[in-house]
Amino acid sequence: MRITFLFILMILFIQSLATANESANTLVIPASVQTVLNNRCIDCHNAETREGQIRLDTLDRLDLAEQLDLLNKAQDQLFFGLMPPPEATPLDDQQKTKLASWVRAELNSHNASKLDEKLLYPSYGNYVDHESLFSSSIPEPGYTPSRRWLVSPQIFHHRVIDVFQLEDRERTGFATRSFYGVTNPFILPDHSGVRDYSITSLDGGHLLVMLKNAQWIASKQIFAAENYGRDRNSIHYPDKQDRWFPQVTPEEFKEIIVNDTEPTESQLVAAINRQFELVLRRPPTTDEQNEYLELTKSTIRLAGKDEGLRQMLVTVLLESEFLYRLELGRIETDEHGRHQLTPHEAAFAISYALGDRGPDATLLDAAQQGKLETKEDYHREISRLLADQNYYRGQIDSSLNGKHYQSDVVSHPKIIRFFREFFGYTGSLKVFKDVKRSDGKYQNPGRGTHGTPGWLTYEADRIVTYHVERDQDVFNALLTSDKFFVYHNMPEEQGNQLLTEWSEVYERLKNSPWKTEPQKVLDENLEFLKERKGMRIVDNSKPGELVNYMHFFDESFGQGRKPFTRIPWSHGYTYHHSPFYSLPPTPSIGRYGSWKSTRYEGDRIELKQFWDYPTQQPFTIANRKGILTHPAWLIAHSTNFHADPIRRGRWIREKLLAGRVPDVPITVDAQVPEDPHHTFRERVEKVTHKSECWKCHQQMNPLGFAFEMYDDFGRYREVELLEHPDNLIQSGNGKSTFDTYKTAPVVTSGTLEGTADTALDGEVVDALDLIDRLAQSDRVRQSIIRHAFRFYLGRNELLSDAQTLRDADQAYLNSGGSFKAVIVSLLTSDSFMYRK
Amino acid sequence: MDSRRDFLKTSLFSIGASAMLNPSLSFASDSKPPMRFIFMHRGNGLWPRVMVPPSFSDELKKKEQQKAAYDVDLDGHELPEWMNPLTKHVNNLTILQGLSGKMCTVGHHSWSSSLGVYKANERVSSIKWATVDFELAKLFPSPVEHIELACFPLGGGNARGSLDGIATGFSARGPQQPNYAFGSPRVAMEELFKSVSTDQATQVQYQLDRMILQFAARNEGATAQKLLNAEKSKVQNYANSIEAIRERSRKVDAMAETIRKHVPQLDPKYLDANVSTFDRQIGHTEVLLGALISGLTNVVAFTVDELGHSYTGITGIEGATVNMHDVGHGKTIAGVEAAEIRNRCRTHHMTLVDKIVQRLKSVPEGDGSMFDNTMLFYFPDGGETHHSHGFEFPFVILAGDNAKLNLGRRYIRLPNYGDQGHKTLGNFYTTLLNAYGNPIEHFGALDVGLNAYGIDQSGPIKELAS
Repeated sequence: MRITFLFILMILFIQSLATANESANTLVIPASVQTVLNNRCIDCHNAETREGQIRLDTLDRLDLAEQLDLLNKAQDQLFFGLMPPPEATPLDDQQKTKLASWVRAELNSHNASKLDEKLLYPSYGNYVDHESLFSSSIPEPGYTPSRRWLVSPQIFHHRVIDVFQLEDRERTGFATRSFYGVTNPFILPDHSGVRDYSITSLDGGHLLVMLKNAQWIASKQIFAAENYGRDRNSIHYPDKQDRWFPQVTPEEFKEIIVNDTEPTESQLVAAINRQFELVLRRPPTTDEQNEYLELTKSTIRLAGKDEGLRQMLVTVLLESEFLYRLELGRIETDEHGRHQLTPHEAAFAISYALGDRGPDATLLDAAQQGKLETKEDYHREISRLLADQNYYRGQIDSSLNGKHYQSDVVSHPKIIRFFREFFGYTGSLKVFKDVKRSDGKYQNPGRGTHGTPGWLTYEADRIVTYHVERDQDVFNALLTSDKFFVYHNMPEEQGNQLLTEWSEVYERLKNSPWKTEPQKVLDENLEFLKERKGMRIVDNSKPGELVNYMHFFDESFGQGRKPFTRIPWSHGYTYHHSPFYSLPPTPSIGRYGSWKSTRYEGDRIELKQFWDYPTQQPFTIANRKGILTHPAWLIAHSTNFHADPIRRGRWIREKLLAGRVPDVPITVDAQVPEDPHHTFRERVEKVTHKSECWKCHQQMNPLGFAFEMYDDFGRYREVELLEHPDNLIQSGNGKSTFDTYKTAPVVTSGTLEGTADTALDGEVVDALDLIDRLAQSDRVRQSIIRHAFRFYLGRNELLSDAQTLRDADQAYLNSGGSFKAVIVSLLTSDSFMYRK
Repeated sequence: MDSRRDFLKTSLFSIGASAMLNPSLSFASDSKPPMRFIFMHRGNGLWPRVMVPPSFSDELKKKEQQKAAYDVDLDGHELPEWMNPLTKHVNNLTILQGLSGKMCTVGHHSWSSSLGVYKANERVSSIKWATVDFELAKLFPSPVEHIELACFPLGGGNARGSLDGIATGFSARGPQQPNYAFGSPRVAMEELFKSVSTDQATQVQYQLDRMILQFAARNEGATAQKLLNAEKSKVQNYANSIEAIRERSRKVDAMAETIRKHVPQLDPKYLDANVSTFDRQIGHTEVLLGALISGLTNVVAFTVDELGHSYTGITGIEGATVNMHDVGHGKTIAGVEAAEIRNRCRTHHMTLVDKIVQRLKSVPEGDGSMFDNTMLFYFPDGGETHHSHGFEFPFVILAGDNAKLNLGRRYIRLPNYGDQGHKTLGNFYTTLLNAYGNPIEHFGALDVGLNAYGIDQSGPIKELAS
């Protein structure tokens, strides 16, 4: 077992040290610490040398604020292993411990440590030592700090749906569209990796949005009662475009509105209780009830009963609790000083871990009946909800919906979202491309469409869904499967049926005069064609379309290939992205001309080799293995103009190898120099091999270089275009012809270091070789488990979570690679159930 | 007219509330008044060719045709006819041509693209960051921070609430945070000047707003008191934000006398539900002036029209409802050719600009007038024409003497798209932000297409920095 220095620091970190000088105006440096400073630090940090503009020789003479500032810097350097520098002799363990513990104790005693806050952020997750989590003995049992966790954008939306008590069709409808008067105040950060952490706070921006939201929601809550008895056509809508309202106003509100008399105190209390139940999902405390009662009486005195009531509804909606998930734990503590979640909190925590909605009736009932207390209780409910195919059913990501496709509906969208965030392939939507560089095939996201990256993201979601639903050997399958979904617009059976019909038509008519006498051919074969429903021919009014069909078939069946199962001249056709999988293209939307014209276009355009479309999907694509070779991932980890070996390598280091790469120092101008004679790899190598750069780049480049076999559009390549004016061979018009450049062979060799497995570490031939090795690594599996922990717990792991992580890892292994087993394990862990 | 500082002295001393001084109002004789910014943008494109003074020499006209860079003093030149209302302000006028905005959504509708410099669309998720007007509002804080007025589009794929309501505007407060704009002068009046409203219902609403904010502030503050460290800040931030709004209201209250003096005195026709577009624009202009002069805000965004807005009240064809999309496609309406309809609308817009400049020039401030500390930008939200590609965003700029940009009496054509030295909307806004204290390296998204020309497209336009 290897106990690293980082582990020692982590232990120091979680210990409460009370040895510091608590109330002094300046720090007193113990002699033993001063000795370490004198012997190991001051040589480089004195009046003359001032390395990094830091002096330690005057530490004892600074005022307290300056001392603490310096100690914070020292703590960072020690914790992140940056000091002493690599070329110097390292500190021995005793020196390290002495220095680090003193620094830590002084900062703690003055409540001045900045490292603690930093370590809560997603980018610092891997600073908890991997070996320590999976190999060392950690005595402290798991817990999560008591917390408020800001709701996600999806949970917020469902909370509004809950306020309106929408169910069935209305609920399903609003699950994929927003309310007219509600702006979602939340936004998750853009970065690749787990995004929803419990560290963010409400701010003024949220409040401004909520002020408007609350007014609209409250008005809609009572709209039906205000218009009670009125014919729907005679209702006055303040905004004619905003005509939706929930059909039922809660009885407690309705009673106040429809009666002409002043509301009684008990009616007001009932209304307050009801709004608390709808919005905060709990009854008010006595104090809250009294305060709200006074407020409501005041607003009614000022504005009358209807408006006064509405103001009370608004005020409850403005409670910060509406926007947080509360996980504070019970009052009583266990022998470790931990508070178990209350059953009510547990019901919500479980439900929001598995989906976007609050708990179902069974889970709430379990909480109320005292059946949400033990791990077995949690296990029962979580397993039940994971098996439930309907309760959380919804679109993976409704924001992906556009003119041409809707995000897929799955039973547990949140599981798919974990893998989306983990792999970060949705980042492709943020990378804008110069379309001409893709031979005009790439479409950037625009109004009403997410363009090519939208399609690719949609198809990456599908492959994730496929493996998640199979739930066997999930990580390995996602990393190594060479099967993908591309264009898959209908189930295999339906696709085969369609192609059979199209083929029958082609065989029957291919020798007819369809090019010159389409009307005659259509007339003579009308019944035959009408029987083939896939032809969508209902009469003989569109001979031009028959020409299009036959031309389309001639270029597919006629060439011994199957066409894609949608005609390219159909309205809204946007399938042009097969080349990004390095597959042949499919016909462009305008290739066959208008169906209104009977002119045969084949004599005027060049015959092309289109894709032989497979109806059975997923299907094997050459030179690809898993999500890391999916064009969505490859584009997401590229720049606008280049495949980015640094970004791709960093992702593997941090996400799969649980490694750490510091951010680019602010003093570094991270630019790859222009050079028309060298490949991008060569230029990156040249600029990053300086010793001060290589310290960090060695963590990334050797991994990312293996992916040079794919360009920045995700296309497989053996040569790289040297896109520089000096290398231009032929200039294109940017529409039908495109610039061509000289090329240079790509080098795809790389090095894998960091699996802690000598059988796997070493030189790799290319990305496929690298992926095969990664997929066999224990560390990679454990790294994915660590990210799953962050997703489901909403925070970075602590050393005290070691048992939770090991249990989850074991659950995965014991279940044959079931991700659902990982979820059950995490959600029944001490880390999930206890607060402190 | 009384000086603005006198109003402030009167109102603030009368309540003895120096602690409630608004930063933007608290300039003493030795400190500078804030800058004001007016972003007046319009739909359907603005043709670069109509920006050119007819008195330019053949040589200049040739350069113009070639879109070659040049810079001319407007002194002695005749302005294009539609700019005639600005003749008396020529010393403050700059016509700026040649900025591209291909990183914006262009064409029929552009949403917050032209103010944010990114590809925006109807989805909130497309808003990448705060628009430039909001960035400027942060530099010159005021009680209501920022005001947005709009003649809302109701069709053409860009419908916005009701014409007279408060709906999503074209500015953005931050990522995925659309701003809200007032659609009619009436609703703007009610909302902005409700603290001094004589209408009982409005006063009641104002009191209710205050009541629930007071309750919420106390409630959240009490919750925060019971918490520690990070958990405390999670609630305290929210409580502080509520308190900040209350503080803003208190400041507005403290300015009641000033605000009351500057409540726009609008003829009822501007408040009527059937107000024509031209009159709606006049009404909004009055609200804009009232808000600026009273000190409610220092930044106004004014969507003077948008492609989806059905125009009424156009000079000479007052009774016709004009579909601006048809105008974009060159259709003759009510016997008037499309180009002439465009011309009449532009001319009307310039009368609004003249009204703003004149009025602000009449308000004494410091050693000069309020206009000295004002910049107004009139520009298209979608680029150079109806179906634009974003190659050009022509600007009419009116800048007071204290504006920190080298502007005034100039016609500037910047290098053409793809030529060395070419500049984008992002460069222009960066210049503006840098000049007023935001050190941002570059505001806005970059145009990936420009990279092919080897043009460094980040940073300010040095020629405009004074």
